[in-house]
Amino acid sequence: MAEIQLKNVSKRWGSFIGVDNFDLTIADREFLVLLGPSGCGKTTTMRMIAGLEEATGGEIIIGDQVVNDLEPKDRDIAMVFQSYGLYPNMNVYENIRFPLKVRKVDPATHDERVMRAADMVELREFLHRKPAELSGGQRQRVALARAIVREPNVFLMDEPLSNLDAKLRVSTRAQIKNLQHELKVTTIYVTHDQIEAMTLADRVVVMQRGVIQQVGSPTEIYDRPANTFVAAFIGSPAMNLMEGTLSGGVFTSDHVRIAGLTGPDGPITLGFRAEDAAVAHDSTDTEISAPVYTMELLGDATMITVKAGGALVSVKANKDYRIEIDETVGLHIPAEICHLFHHETGARLDG
Amino acid sequence: MAAAAQRKPVSLKVASLVFIVIWLMVAAFPFFWTLWGSFKVELDFFSIADWTNALTGDLTKETYGRPFTGAGYYGAWVQEEFWRAALNTFIVCFFVVVTSLTIGTLGGYALSRSGHNYVFWLLIAALIFRAMPPITLVSGYLPPFFQWNLWGYLPTAIIVLVAINQPFTLWMLHSFFQKIPKDLDESAKVDGCTQFQAFRFVIIPVMWPGVITTGLFSFLLAYNDFAVTAMLLNEQNRTMVPKIAAFLGTTYTEGNVMFAVAAVVSATVPLFLLVMVFQRQIVSGLTAGAVKG
Ligand SMILES: Nc1ncnc2c1ncn2[C@@H]1O[C@H](COP(=O)(O)OP(=O)(O)O)[C@@H](O)[C@H]1O
Ligand SMILES: [Mg+2]
Repeated sequence: MAEIQLKNVSKRWGSFIGVDNFDLTIADREFLVLLGPSGCGKTTTMRMIAGLEEATGGEIIIGDQVVNDLEPKDRDIAMVFQSYGLYPNMNVYENIRFPLKVRKVDPATHDERVMRAADMVELREFLHRKPAELSGGQRQRVALARAIVREPNVFLMDEPLSNLDAKLRVSTRAQIKNLQHELKVTTIYVTHDQIEAMTLADRVVVMQRGVIQQVGSPTEIYDRPANTFVAAFIGSPAMNLMEGTLSGGVFTSDHVRIAGLTGPDGPITLGFRAEDAAVAHDSTDTEISAPVYTMELLGDATMITVKAGGALVSVKANKDYRIEIDETVGLHIPAEICHLFHHETGARLDG
Repeated sequence: MAAAAQRKPVSLKVASLVFIVIWLMVAAFPFFWTLWGSFKVELDFFSIADWTNALTGDLTKETYGRPFTGAGYYGAWVQEEFWRAALNTFIVCFFVVVTSLTIGTLGGYALSRSGHNYVFWLLIAALIFRAMPPITLVSGYLPPFFQWNLWGYLPTAIIVLVAINQPFTLWMLHSFFQKIPKDLDESAKVDGCTQFQAFRFVIIPVMWPGVITTGLFSFLLAYNDFAVTAMLLNEQNRTMVPKIAAFLGTTYTEGNVMFAVAAVVSATVPLFLLVMVFQRQIVSGLTAGAVKG
């Protein structure tokens, strides 16, 4: 069981900055998800914790030990690689057993531990197959079993679900969540998929270009995005963001007029979520009035998109709602659902 | 039906069959001719009067009472002590293969896992040395070897053969190692291995076909070498190939040519056996990368 502290950790290759001043404390038994677009430094951060990549600055502390100069094997971590990294010449049983063998764990306990790990991920019937004879999902579970067999201090998982098909991803996701709950091991999980992040995490770290953008629970990140990047990255569809000016609490832009806001006068970025807004009943509650750009049927809702405030703005309506393209529609955007951001830095404006 | 669609026209089948037969004859005929002839006397095998004597063995029958004789083999192996050359070849091959594989696997692995760009130039330099004819290197070795009294001994030849062979071994193993994903090493390290244990327990087992293929090439180089062994070994320590050349070089006594023929056959047989035993590894080593899935 271990707390992990990252103190101003950074990674540079020449002048290129992969991870910049990463500063975070991960609580014991926490499920932390690193979330961000491809190339933002998630894997690099994880590899520095694992010891596969040397940090160019800062300190990494696992438990109460600075591990910067320790080999991966001495850090008591287990890692699930994106490509699984299974040993092709060993069967499933030997793959799972390998960490016990090289770490010279008492051989008498091997069989029991391998079996227990295999049972946890439902692999018992495949123990004698080689990795090449397994499906993607089964290989993924072997990698999981190999990670849990040793009961390490920390689990690291790098996009473990990205090679699975959509259905399997959902069930394996649930399995990972359950395993972590059962084993109570500090877990760091890397993904670019915000739904994975939202469903799994105790806390999410959103990253961009090697810099932490926001740290918080999934609800916090969804409800109070710290800047326009997080706002646009989290949620499906992403938050609507419009450019305009605020004066005396009234936001105006082309086709848009929202009153009752509190914020500094001047140019500003306003955001709201499609599911918070609605189609207006009459002209008194119409904040956006614009011709329909497109209408999409989602099954459980109808998505109406218009061009307003210099962007495409989407609103979710009732699933029975129908309207023609180019017909003018009124949308209700109450001030309570609006988020204000600095028009240049993108930072959130209300405290 | 799929099978019908895949069936080739008869003419194509016949053509390919004819081609294979012709090719087999061209490739295999000299060997079988030599094998057959090695059990005859020289006047039969190299008969000027009638080439069918080589098939029927008339003169062999006249001399020994039978159309076949092992005289060539007896002369080469016992009288001329070809067994000594065979033993020397075995020693040279064994140590060349073991040394160049040890250095090659360790070096190839290290180079394939190093991110530095001098690796490329190192490999290019290695290739240039390999491209030079061995004889140019050997003549450079001769003066110091005479001076230090190292000339003539087996270890000297072994070291030179390893030196000549190493670039190729390194290059070949390097490309095999590069095909093995780094994830494997890293998995192993996280699972508790040191870098060397990762190499030993995870990478090498996956690499076997590559190691065997490379080992076989090293073996063949040492086994077939003439330039180095002929120039660097004294008469006592000669390996098979220079010994055969020596048989041929003194044709003034009858039978020596037949000794050479018998020795050639003796030297070829182990190669056949070797390739047959390892053919599966060689093919998988030469074609696929070492890892699947
Ligand atoms: N060995 C390396 N040398 C130079 N740049 C690298 C190296 N490894 C990764 N990078 C760069 O660092 C950035 C972050 O990479 P990574 O952590 O793998 O991103 P991701 O968030 O997709 O996992 C990328 O822009 C990548 O190109
Ligand atoms: Mg990555």
